[in-house]
Amino acid sequence: MKNRLKVLRAERDWSQAELAGRLDVSRQAVNAIETGKHDPSLPLAFKIARLFDMPIEDIFDDGETA
Amino acid sequence: MILAKKSVLGPGEARTRTRQRRQMIFLGVSVVIGGTIGGLTGAFDQGDGSLFSGDWDKLKLNPAIAVLVSALLVIGFIALPLRGFGQIDEFKRENNFIGFTGGCLAVLVGFPIWAVLYAGGMLPPPHAFGIWLLGFFGMFASYLIARIRA
Repeated sequence: MKNRLKVLRAERDWSQAELAGRLDVSRQAVNAIETGKHDPSLPLAFKIARLFDMPIEDIFDDGETA
Repeated sequence: MILAKKSVLGPGEARTRTRQRRQMIFLGVSVVIGGTIGGLTGAFDQGDGSLFSGDWDKLKLNPAIAVLVSALLVIGFIALPLRGFGQIDEFKRENNFIGFTGGCLAVLVGFPIWAVLYAGGMLPPPHAFGIWLLGFFGMFASYLIARIRA
C-alpha cells in the first residue's frame, strides 16, 4: 500500500526515530511502513492520521480509489 | 558559520531512545539467563551422554541443578518471550509470528522427512533433541528472512 508518510515526516523535519517515538512504535516499523513493506494495523493508521491531523485516505492509498 | 549539531532530542526521539534502552536491557537479561543455563549444565554435567547423539541414559545432572536449570528454561523460553511480546510493536510482532510459524512448519515437515530418510537408510533415527533443533533453527531462519525482507 502506498503512503505519504515520508513526505509528511519530511515536511515537519522529523527523523524516523522522532516519528516512531510519537507513534510509540520502533524506528524499523516506521521505515517498513514508509517503504511499503508493512501495512499498519487500523489502530496504528488512525494514530498516524491523528498525529498528522489528516484523514486516513489522504495518507494511505490502496490503489482502489477512483 | 559552523552549524551546531542538533543536540536536543525531540519528544519522539527521546521515547525511541528509552524504548531501545529497554530492549537492550531485555536482551542483556536474556543473554545472562542463557549463559547461566549453559554454564550450569557445562559445569555440573556428571555423565558421558550427549544431546546430539541421543544417548539419554548417559546424561547425569545433580537433581537440584536440574530443577534450577528447568526453572531458568521456563523463564528463558516462556516468561521472557511473553514479556517481550508486550514490549514490541506490531511490525516486530509480525516478524516474530513469521518466525514461530517457520519453526512450527520445520517440525511438522522435518520429522516425517527425517523418518522416511531414516527408513531409507540415509540418516540415524529421529531423536527429540534433533527435532527441537529443527524447530529452533526453522524459527530462527524464518525470523531472519522476515527481517531481511522488511
